[in-house]
Amino acid sequence: MPTFDFAPLVWWGLPLAAAPVLIHLINLLRQRRVKWAAMEFLLASQRKYRTRVMLRQLLLLALRTAAVLGLVLALAGPRWRAAAGGLLGTATTAHLVLLDDSCSMGDRTGGERMEPVPEAAAGDTRPATAFDRGRRVVERIAADLAAGSGSQQLTVGLSSQFAVAAGDRGGLRLALPRQPVSPATVQAVRDALGDTAESAGSAGPREAIAAVARELSGESAGGSAEPRVLWMVGDFRSRDWLGSAEPAATLRQLAADGVTLRFVDCAADSPPAGNLTIERLEVIGGVPAAGVLLPVEVEVRNDGGGPARDVLVELREDGAGRPGVRIDEVPAGGVASGRFDVRFAAAGSHTLEAGLPADTLPADNVRRAVVDVVDRVEVLIIDGAAAGPTSGDGFYVATALAPGVGAATGLRPRVEPPAALATADLRRFDCLWLLDIERLDPAAVTAVEAYVRGGGGVVFFCGPKTRAELINGMLHRGGEGLFPVPLAGAVDLLPAVVVGTPVPDVVVEDHPVVAVLAGQRNPLLSAVRIDRFWAVERGHDPAASGVRRLLSLRTGQPLAVEKPYGDGLVVAVLTTAAPTWNNWARGNPSWVVVMLELESHLARLRRRAETLMVGDPVTVRLEQGVDEGDVDFLVPPDGDLVRQTASRAASGVPAAAAIQAPAPAPQPLEARLPAAVVPGLYEARWRRLDGTERQRSIAVNVDPAEGRLDRAGRERLDRSLSGVRFRYERAEEVAADGGGIAGASLAVPLLLAVAGLLLVEQLVACAAGYHPVAPRSSAA
Amino acid sequence: MTRGSRRSLHPESIARIHRLELRARAVVEGVLAGLHKSPYKGQSVEFLQHREYVRGDDLRRVDWKVWGRQDRYYVKEFEEETNLRLTLLVDGSTSMDYAGGPTAAPPRPTKYDCAATLAASLAWLALSHGDAVGCGVFDDRLRTHVPARTKRSQLANVCDVLEAPRNAGPGDFSRVLLTAAETLPRRGMVIVVSDLLGDRDGIFKGLHLLRTRGHDLAVVQVMDDDELDFPFEGPTRFEGLELPAHVACNPRGLRDGYLAAVQAFLAEIRRRSAALRCDYALVRTGEPLDLALVRFLSRRASMAV
Repeated sequence: MPTFDFAPLVWWGLPLAAAPVLIHLINLLRQRRVKWAAMEFLLASQRKYRTRVMLRQLLLLALRTAAVLGLVLALAGPRWRAAAGGLLGTATTAHLVLLDDSCSMGDRTGGERMEPVPEAAAGDTRPATAFDRGRRVVERIAADLAAGSGSQQLTVGLSSQFAVAAGDRGGLRLALPRQPVSPATVQAVRDALGDTAESAGSAGPREAIAAVARELSGESAGGSAEPRVLWMVGDFRSRDWLGSAEPAATLRQLAADGVTLRFVDCAADSPPAGNLTIERLEVIGGVPAAGVLLPVEVEVRNDGGGPARDVLVELREDGAGRPGVRIDEVPAGGVASGRFDVRFAAAGSHTLEAGLPADTLPADNVRRAVVDVVDRVEVLIIDGAAAGPTSGDGFYVATALAPGVGAATGLRPRVEPPAALATADLRRFDCLWLLDIERLDPAAVTAVEAYVRGGGGVVFFCGPKTRAELINGMLHRGGEGLFPVPLAGAVDLLPAVVVGTPVPDVVVEDHPVVAVLAGQRNPLLSAVRIDRFWAVERGHDPAASGVRRLLSLRTGQPLAVEKPYGDGLVVAVLTTAAPTWNNWARGNPSWVVVMLELESHLARLRRRAETLMVGDPVTVRLEQGVDEGDVDFLVPPDGDLVRQTASRAASGVPAAAAIQAPAPAPQPLEARLPAAVVPGLYEARWRRLDGTERQRSIAVNVDPAEGRLDRAGRERLDRSLSGVRFRYERAEEVAADGGGIAGASLAVPLLLAVAGLLLVEQLVACAAGYHPVAPRSSAA
Repeated sequence: MTRGSRRSLHPESIARIHRLELRARAVVEGVLAGLHKSPYKGQSVEFLQHREYVRGDDLRRVDWKVWGRQDRYYVKEFEEETNLRLTLLVDGSTSMDYAGGPTAAPPRPTKYDCAATLAASLAWLALSHGDAVGCGVFDDRLRTHVPARTKRSQLANVCDVLEAPRNAGPGDFSRVLLTAAETLPRRGMVIVVSDLLGDRDGIFKGLHLLRTRGHDLAVVQVMDDDELDFPFEGPTRFEGLELPAHVACNPRGLRDGYLAAVQAFLAEIRRRSAALRCDYALVRTGEPLDLALVRFLSRRASMAV
């Protein structure tokens, strides 16, 4: 049976149909009165034409009323769902179903069991996920379309498929390509979606909508006038739909292009029972060298309604279980962390894995991390004084970084003169220490700046050989260079006037490097005496230029400052490393602690483990002339081998997506796995030209944001998508709702009919004498 | 000339008519200044015939010379030259008060004003030729009347009759024309100036009676332009001036039927006038009256030849 869809506008516009009648009645009140002599002729004419005049007036009234009604209906965008709609020529309706398969669709909140389906294995009674409900909704839509009348075409795609194909139309592989709807379509949908499950990716509706919009706008540009319906079947989480204007703008454009938007919310009505997510698993300090103890932090977020107590985080190290970490309480909506130490005996890629007990969303309960361990981490120390192997700044810094066999720090300091800067491959070094440099040639300055911009860390110590002209002219350059502050000159720190308690020369600022010395009075730091230092130019405000203090003098002048430069960090200590202008390095344990912390702090950017999410490309950078071009990727969970040939690295590759991110080498090559589909440990293997094999592990995790299961809901969607006309339904409401399926658009035919009615109205009005005409012949 | 007659007479129209001559038809008795022949026979300067004396003849008309030669009594008959007796009957019924619709531009006079002016103009012409002119205004009966006279002051009398205050009612032609046929003492010329809206059978019954009494007849029908063109547009309510009826309509819808009815009406008037050998002229209130007069008198002149 044919039915029609109308926008609510039609109910507001219907009273307008009374306008012609009202105008007619008003005209009756506005009649001109004429005293007339020749009434007998007028009465004769009226007797003769009474019926004709009456019919014409009724016809005019009907035509005008019909025209107003037609206009209102046309503006309401009606659709005719009947076979006869095909007579209009636009009866084929294209339905595009976008099924959200992001990780959050694995939410098992709701508790209902899966309905038995023919394909389901016997005994499959696992709790239904939001994706399961979405899949049933898609099947129901297909069934409704097949049962309905009119010509329909159906396309079903998963959001991850659209997101992967975004910008690459040729790569779009949909679950069910566009096809005419027939009774067989229902089975085709079942076949297409039967084996699918929610993905582990975070490709939500935003990316998919953008891809769909490009797809549909391409059709519009191609002149396609067929009615289109976009079904968004998903869980409508707050993080995807609220707080961002992008989906609203895209959907508004789609609606303006005539696309009917229908949202089907598949998330359970009841709030999530409680979902814990491992937000972070990271080495937070130390030197990743063999045999060195590394502190690791695991962070758990609680998105449930109440606090989670006594949370046990299970740990695995290189695939083997190890004692877990127990977190006493994770507050509702908050995070809590636990720490543990690991020590890897051998160099190479090592893996860590943290897991939580199963909850409503299992996918975000596991997180993996890779720690690349080397035998020793090399540190380059440039000593401007080069006093000797057992004295000078370089000696004291090197000794602090590598005290000896009894205290393995994993660092291997290498002390060189300033001339080595121009020739050394700085990318090999974890950190640079430039101690009391008298002069640097421009090539060396350029190399150091490039090193820091690429994420490296540099520490400057100033001393007797330091020249303010070099620092200010070549390294500071009015704030453009890497040196944090301009120097005025070397000055003595006058002794403090002791009244009562002695005042220490050094004041600890709020900075992670010196955090161990902060807090209560520290006798080790109180023992440090500063005799001479480089004063900062008068009037310069370090804080205004983004410079942060680590240490200050008791006079308030800066002693150690830090400045970010490019992707790296620069720290300047305005006194000597050796006990020349101070006594810090002479037997004071705090010296060693601060130097090691400083080295770890500066190198953390280079050591930061790559955080790849599902959907990110997995990239391995190779060195041209060193590595062969083919890389074998072992893809979890089954270790399938995918061979990729390296090509010239594209500019603009996100740093976070690169496995190895040193300063850009000339002619870099990269082998790339387009997108990581499942979480887990990926392994890349390749050979070097010298025949040696290289191997690197890459951890790909579920985006922890997927664990935020807060739903947007109808009201918040209305506010967020203000101005977008859409229909919101719960998954269970879509069942057998034939009315939700758009048919042939009647807007254009109605407008044409209105135009026709107005034309006929004009002709009838002209014939009935309602239009002024030129004078005609008279009776005499 | 009175102030009223000055308003009714249009000097420009009279000046143009002065170049023409009013020639009555040959059948009308009497002669005006040798141009009009009278149907009456009596003493005059021009001998007509002899006939035998019968009792009752005036002994002064016995031709004694013939009696001396033949011893028989004959009387002499002469062709008598006499003035035209023109009677103007002007319709003063309510329907004559129509003066064009609200949108008429330029404003037109009422049909009665137009008829009165025509009547006065004809009276002036007739009086200037020495004819006797009488006038009456009627609706359902003859309301005011002045008998035919030839004196110059008669024009003022005619104008006074035409401009006398009217208490107009519906017209009754039959009754008025019957009255006129009975009261007019001698045969003459009767000109009826009216819109002829009313009982047409009654109109022509009265005209027929006048004709049988030997009067020369002419009908001048005065119609407003609106009545002939029906140019109205927009919702209009027509209320009858004489008939107690109204029609609320879109005039354009009824125009064709109205014009057809008017055409049939005018055709009937023409046809029945011709049957009575009655001159007929249609005058529109929107046209210049002098032209209407010229057309009317030219037509009568051509018929008199």
